[in-house]
Amino acid sequence: MLRSEAVDQTLDTRWFDPARLNILIGVLLFTAFLVVNIFRARAKSDLYVRPIAGLKALDEAIGRATEMGRSVLYVPGLSDMSEVGTFAAITILYRLAQRIAEMGCDLDVPCYDPVVMTVLDGAVRDAYSKVGRPDAFRPGCVHYVSAQQMAYVAAVNGTMLRDRPAANVYMGSFYAESLLLAETGATTGAIQIAGTDKVTQLPFFVCACDYTLLGEELFAASAYLGREPVQLATVIAQDWAKAVAAIAVTAALLLASLGHPTLASWLRAA
Amino acid sequence: MRRGPLLVTFLSGAAVAALFFIPHHQAQAVNNKLLEWTLVVYAFALILGSMSLWNSHARKLNARAEGWPFSLVTLVSLVGITALGIWKGVGEGSPVGRIYNTVNSPLASTMFALLAFVIASAAFRAFRARSVEATLLLITAIVMMIGRVSIGPLISPHLPGVTEWLLDVPNLAAKRAIAVGVGLGAVSTALKIILGIERSYLGRS
Repeated sequence: MLRSEAVDQTLDTRWFDPARLNILIGVLLFTAFLVVNIFRARAKSDLYVRPIAGLKALDEAIGRATEMGRSVLYVPGLSDMSEVGTFAAITILYRLAQRIAEMGCDLDVPCYDPVVMTVLDGAVRDAYSKVGRPDAFRPGCVHYVSAQQMAYVAAVNGTMLRDRPAANVYMGSFYAESLLLAETGATTGAIQIAGTDKVTQLPFFVCACDYTLLGEELFAASAYLGREPVQLATVIAQDWAKAVAAIAVTAALLLASLGHPTLASWLRAA
Repeated sequence: MRRGPLLVTFLSGAAVAALFFIPHHQAQAVNNKLLEWTLVVYAFALILGSMSLWNSHARKLNARAEGWPFSLVTLVSLVGITALGIWKGVGEGSPVGRIYNTVNSPLASTMFALLAFVIASAAFRAFRARSVEATLLLITAIVMMIGRVSIGPLISPHLPGVTEWLLDVPNLAAKRAIAVGVGLGAVSTALKIILGIERSYLGRS
């Protein structure tokens, strides 16, 4: 059998990458924070999470749509299931669809990815059933549009201009299309609420939308809307981890300034 | 009833997370295989997507809803391009490839070009000095715009340096603060899904 020495040399035989030790410690620490806060939440149900204006406005948007007899347009981002932002979009829609079902207004969810569409369809059906309104679910309200970025934008913009939804909600991962969508929505006079984990797209949403969830607020939204203690515990764990990150960065900065860059290098590894 | 999907989620989520830390070639081969499976799942979901596209536009066409001619164009294109792709193939130089290059690409470029106009209208709205913060934004934007073009150094030799400082210090600090929050939020969401705390993506119970 022919064997190449060169190929054998390039094959990695390590069972752990030491350059990623910092990430492993971070994940384990975060998991510990999560477990501690879940136990805290079970013992004490009144955990405080600061109000987020954009999420409070979701109720206002649904109410407005109901009063005007128009729909709520929910754009779940242009990513697939490998993006955590897409999962955040799914969990927010699940909560939002429950409120929409209770209020009795129409929902329209154009999808970019067929897998996301399938998952969203199931989540929205479940949301309607959960609040006892399975009859109010309109088959086809979650529908596939296109996996081409600009074709998707053209279709959604057309929907905004023809159907004039009372509220446009953009949640998930967005790219160059963010401003094209949000600016078209702004011209229709709809109330617009956006949230994305893509830092480069945030300024566009801030310019064109009434409310914008900045970065981590997107991930906290599901817990905030659900108000379930265990979900809120994850938001508090996130805050604890942020405090640890701030302390670690400050310590690394001070040590590096004093001529000891080891901590800074270790944090930057991987 | 949901125990099966939750178990699959936990096992696959934990496995992929573990594989991130294991550089061993056999482990990475497993990782690559898992990624290949997602492509297979995507191919099946694309059939569901096409059915959804057909249903939603056929409904509009039947109801003669506003903009129904667009639905007709979509349905004709869907059937026509699919048939042409099966009959003549989809490679470079095929009819589908030519249609893609001569129709789809220019249309996509046109949509993308609209970005220049919407940026102008969004900037006009954002830069109205209605509050202290909006005024600060307006002043910063003016400094940035003038400092980044060739007339900037002629007005003041310090302007390019000021714009660099604005980008590298306050702007980067804010971006990194948001990025840290996004990173932690992403880990939190991933853990919620792997541990079964968040189940809304599972759909019908």
